[in-house]
Amino acid sequence: MDTLQDKGRYGFQHIGIPPCGYLDYLSAQLANVIVGNPKEAPIFELHFPASSFIFNEAHTICISGANFVPVLNDKSIALNTPIQVCKNDTLDFMQPLLGKTSYLSIKGNIDSSAWLNSKSNFTSQLKNNVQFNIIAWDADNKKNSNNPTEQESQQCNINEIQKHIFNSNEIRFIPGPQWNDLTNESSSNILKQPFNTSLNSNRMGYTLKGPSLQLIEQKSYLSSAVTRGTMQLLPSGEVIVLMANHQTIGGYANIGQIILVDLPKLVQHKSDTPFRFSISNVETAHSEYKQMQKCSS
Amino acid sequence: MTKIFSNFNWKAQALGDHAIQFYLPEKMDPAMIGEIKCFHDFIFSQQLKEIKDIIPSYHTLTLIYDIALMHEPIAFANDLIEKFSSERKTEVAAEEVNVIIEVPVCYDEIFGIDLISMSTKLNLSITEIIKIHTENIYQVYCLGFMPGFAYMGDVNIKIQTARHPQPRKNVSAGSVGIAGAQTGIYPMHSPGGWQIIGRTPLKIFDKNPAILSKFKMGDFVKFYPITRAEFESLNQNEL
Repeated sequence: MDTLQDKGRYGFQHIGIPPCGYLDYLSAQLANVIVGNPKEAPIFELHFPASSFIFNEAHTICISGANFVPVLNDKSIALNTPIQVCKNDTLDFMQPLLGKTSYLSIKGNIDSSAWLNSKSNFTSQLKNNVQFNIIAWDADNKKNSNNPTEQESQQCNINEIQKHIFNSNEIRFIPGPQWNDLTNESSSNILKQPFNTSLNSNRMGYTLKGPSLQLIEQKSYLSSAVTRGTMQLLPSGEVIVLMANHQTIGGYANIGQIILVDLPKLVQHKSDTPFRFSISNVETAHSEYKQMQKCSS
Repeated sequence: MTKIFSNFNWKAQALGDHAIQFYLPEKMDPAMIGEIKCFHDFIFSQQLKEIKDIIPSYHTLTLIYDIALMHEPIAFANDLIEKFSSERKTEVAAEEVNVIIEVPVCYDEIFGIDLISMSTKLNLSITEIIKIHTENIYQVYCLGFMPGFAYMGDVNIKIQTARHPQPRKNVSAGSVGIAGAQTGIYPMHSPGGWQIIGRTPLKIFDKNPAILSKFKMGDFVKFYPITRAEFESLNQNEL
């Protein structure tokens, strides 16, 4: 499912409106920064098999996140690099080589109507043959990264972000309000046993495959707010990690929250590569989030 | 002006790295709705730049914050509890006139698709179920599940019915349902497991940014029965 996404809409969760927004915000921001867009500009979020794109005029584009082997007029192109495209060029994605979610940024603002301050769409995917106009930014938003020292530091940042997202099988979380309601065996299994993402994963949530987890006593909880990264324990013993299109409140046991800086790792984790969970804390989560945000700017 | 201090003892905990959860004892208690709404409105009135969302629920109030702007989440939270306790003036709440939102419902069996089975299970006639459902004034505990879906309570114990073990694939927009002690309206077509007793012709969620949700947390709601013909003439939902 391919959609247009930005940072999402906040301020409406109290009336049940999901925040939405890009799943892997680090890759999305990177793709925007590389073409000189504001970090939080709207961007195309792609899942394999991804849409084809035909350009009606010349543009600077960039692809970040998952590597779906992008080809421009049948010639393979690099990720995380500004690419010049000409009128009538076609962009296709050939195979899901690495990761699950890819981003296509285009220099300029993608013309699409916003609803409640966001262009993120949570009900429908891109329609067949839909056409978008690209509007140049006004002077305020222009950014010039032509000087060599900046390019050099950008390269180093790209590597750091890539490594963080794709070269780690450790995903950190902070125990949630119902962590202590898990049996000892279950809480130790979360930390010792490998997990995989399942094919039952989408923009609402990722269902995980791993050891079956149990609560000390089966009980129901009163619903309260959940957020992206919330690890809910389903009655089946499976864990679902909530993603951008999540419901705003939930009544399943909230056993933990994946830290925001590690969420892109889970987003990009394919079902055939196991990962492990470890426990983190708010201080670490904040300092690493801020560190990684510096990288993608 | 007299200040009345609350008997409610708010506590705060971090919910991961970008949320703070304020909580009261875990129970579904209409007496807590006013308190949670009051705390919600207090935090909202502070217009804090760190806060992206304030989400009330049955016994919790959750803040979603921007990590880049937040320094000490727990100190920040405790500071809010302290300010709220010392600044609140509850006599305003006592004088406030509570507007009751009246909601027409057609309880025809063509819409109230679970009425017949509920009637058997509860050993009540359909007329009695409708009478009991329309007697109470309900209050909105919170919204969630989908845009505009309001969880209201409490339903008279005589007509409380557990939700279906297997949710239906498609419940029509405007459907009025019961799940245990709660009643609510599906704002749009969706899968759902509540016991459906009727349908309202009103639009419950409007995408127009000036309108959005018909209900907000803390609102009072009363249902009244209408005929099939009245429903047809009032209906604002897609059939």
